[in-house]
Amino acid sequence: MLLGLSVYLAVILFIGLSVYKVTKYAKMPLHGRMELYPVPQEKGRHTYGGSYMEEPEWWRKPRQISKASEIKDMLKEMLFIKKLFDNQRSLWWKSYSFHLGIYILVIWTILLIIGALTELAGIPVNPSVSFWTALLYYLTIATGVIGFAITTLGVFLLLVRRLSDPVLKKYTTPQEYFNLVLLLATLVTGIAVWTPDLSFAAARQIMAQILTLSVVPSTLLVIHLLLAEVMFVYIPPSKMGHYVGKYFTYHKILWDNEPNLAGSPVEGRVKNALANKAKNSWGASHIQTPPAPEA
Amino acid sequence: MVNQNSLRPQDLGKEQEQLVQLDNLMPLSFPYDQPDMEPAFPEVKPEWKEKYCTSLDGCVALDTLQRPQSEAEEAELVQKFLNGLEKVFSDANSGVWQPLQLAVEYCAKCDTCSNACHIYQASGGSEVYRPIFRADAFRKIYKSQFTGGGKLYKRFVGADMEVNWETVARLGELAYRCNLCRRCAQACPLGLDNSLFAKEIRKIFSQEMGIAPTPLHEKGTMLQLKTGSTTGIGKAAFLDMVEFLEEDIEDRIGRKIKIPIDKEGADILLIHNAGEFVAWPENPAAFAILFDEAGVDWTLSSSMIGYDSVNYGIWYDDAQAKKIIQQQMQAARELGVKRIVIGECGHAHKAAGLVADRMMSAEDKIPVESWIPIMWELVKTGRLKFDPGKNDFPVTLHDPCNIVRQMGIVQPQREILKIIAPQFREMTPHGVDNYCCGGGSGFAIMHSPNFPQFRTKVSSRVKFDQILRAFSDTITDSSIPKYVCAPCSNCKGSMRDMFKYYQATSKYNLQYGGLVELMVNALTSIDQPYLEFLG
Repeated sequence: MLLGLSVYLAVILFIGLSVYKVTKYAKMPLHGRMELYPVPQEKGRHTYGGSYMEEPEWWRKPRQISKASEIKDMLKEMLFIKKLFDNQRSLWWKSYSFHLGIYILVIWTILLIIGALTELAGIPVNPSVSFWTALLYYLTIATGVIGFAITTLGVFLLLVRRLSDPVLKKYTTPQEYFNLVLLLATLVTGIAVWTPDLSFAAARQIMAQILTLSVVPSTLLVIHLLLAEVMFVYIPPSKMGHYVGKYFTYHKILWDNEPNLAGSPVEGRVKNALANKAKNSWGASHIQTPPAPEA
Repeated sequence: MVNQNSLRPQDLGKEQEQLVQLDNLMPLSFPYDQPDMEPAFPEVKPEWKEKYCTSLDGCVALDTLQRPQSEAEEAELVQKFLNGLEKVFSDANSGVWQPLQLAVEYCAKCDTCSNACHIYQASGGSEVYRPIFRADAFRKIYKSQFTGGGKLYKRFVGADMEVNWETVARLGELAYRCNLCRRCAQACPLGLDNSLFAKEIRKIFSQEMGIAPTPLHEKGTMLQLKTGSTTGIGKAAFLDMVEFLEEDIEDRIGRKIKIPIDKEGADILLIHNAGEFVAWPENPAAFAILFDEAGVDWTLSSSMIGYDSVNYGIWYDDAQAKKIIQQQMQAARELGVKRIVIGECGHAHKAAGLVADRMMSAEDKIPVESWIPIMWELVKTGRLKFDPGKNDFPVTLHDPCNIVRQMGIVQPQREILKIIAPQFREMTPHGVDNYCCGGGSGFAIMHSPNFPQFRTKVSSRVKFDQILRAFSDTITDSSIPKYVCAPCSNCKGSMRDMFKYYQATSKYNLQYGGLVELMVNALTSIDQPYLEFLG
């Protein structure tokens, strides 16, 4: 009962803390313009890094914005980690193996939950019942095997690279090693718990127990679930929660080229920011008493 | 001496005469791959060591940072730095707080940025110039000072850096070993901006400690706010210079042009970097010729700061930047012009076009645009006519970071060049992926003891190499002029200094200048060459 509940709690905390992080950053004061080109929503110009400022009297012309191209670039980053691919290929293989593995494991978890619910509803998940159960059966196997394999390989290689590359090693803090070790431990115990039966029938059973709060604990399962729970709660406040940070750096900073024009969405925010009197002020004398212009 | 490769951010506080030696610079391309093609770094004079902080790499950017004479003075400076560091993460710094917080929190230490940084590459991979070296020093100091927890916890999270006077001084210098070109931010997989660390350290030094390079502050923003221009040119002198410009145009091309000044209700208020009137008068003159020929309704302003587009504040001091922006906008409002057009000056583009954008409310601003789009329109619509044969020599284009990477104005200048320069060729890389000229963020105008050597040998090195490669087909034929089109005052300053330092003009006929000069040179309506090196 308690073990099952703690899984629910960890997932809720993961979501809650992630949302808290988002709101924390979203509530920070409006920053200055810091876009960097190419900005993908610049319709027709983003391919070479152009912007609306290539037009004379750009403020009189309707902005040509392509949401589709913004989403396309976002997906390239989310699904392929394109920046790292373009700028540091040797690290990309390792990082991508890991991140792609996570995505696959998320799908595997969802399939496992669907499978568990299906079985709880009295329908056995095996290839002979129907097309859908067959699909569920084989997809669970495929995602489980590939997911665990490449995620674990990725974390392992990332850790090895960090320990063997003198530059990365120098700048890595104990906490950053801890992050990787925590992931690795969760994955390795996960492999021990979930994959001994490669048909994942046993895994479905454990998932059903978790869902119905009736976990039959074994030492290994308890260790794994506790590790996974610590990981879930720890990710959002740590730098592993960079899915939050990356949303802001890309969408709200590097790709935010919204000009402050009368009637624009940003106008009100600028006005508010200008009206706010700062509580803190700088100490240098030229700020306290600005120079007087010569007549 | 500490092994340079094993240098850690914590070593910034080490008692050592000089942390790194710049003795392993990136090799240059042909013909500068031969020995003795460039002078060695000059010796660091003992009096500099005594007076300034030469203990980073022997170079001095902060000529106002004087070595304290007592421990009490040292402690006071360290405390002021820490006060400033705290304010950086407060509403006193709201315009940068969020991006900075993100960069502090989420760096994955993947080191992708090092490859993007021209200074790190030019230094031959010297550790202190690695973008994450500076960032991590900043991060560690911040965490050490403002994170709770015991010693063990602090070690765990990387809050393990002591701060002494030497740390602060070296960080101050290190903040001026970055051109703020933001190429690293473009490469960062997490979208973080390491240039922020350099910029914020500069701001702490200026806004809290009152320490900034003289050319940027005392003879920069302060002089501009007092006299109207960083050149020190007041209104009367400015009017004289415009008159001189009119005479100069008549001498050069035999055309009498009246340069409009303070014309109320004009369509365009053109603001130049006032340094152009002094160093490259042919540039504002070329604007006058082109606008006059195309019948543009334009004016210059003679009111306070209305004739100088520069805003050094954006490199080191937000408060100064804002004061200058407000004065420039006021000049435009007084004239009732429809728009401000910024001439060939990159950082002025960014200051008036981007930084100003959220520093003033929409109704207090006059719209700002670059000179490039309107010039392309004049070309495209046939209001200016060219004979490209007059520019039949190799031309390459330098992309000023502020105009291109940071504003997305990429194509119109290329369209113009394709029409007026038959031998135009791109550098590699170019456009938004360009490299800084090495003069960005104030370097081009900083002349304290030996800083120009750092600029020409290190920060301009990658750009110089790009130029050599762009002209590799004709580089050794000194009868052929090779023109680097650099439409930005600071970039031109860098080119001037690097060509002189490497004797590139005298040996290989490398030339530099803006785009408008090249345009005027190709005008069908003008008989004699406008570019002096053709004369």
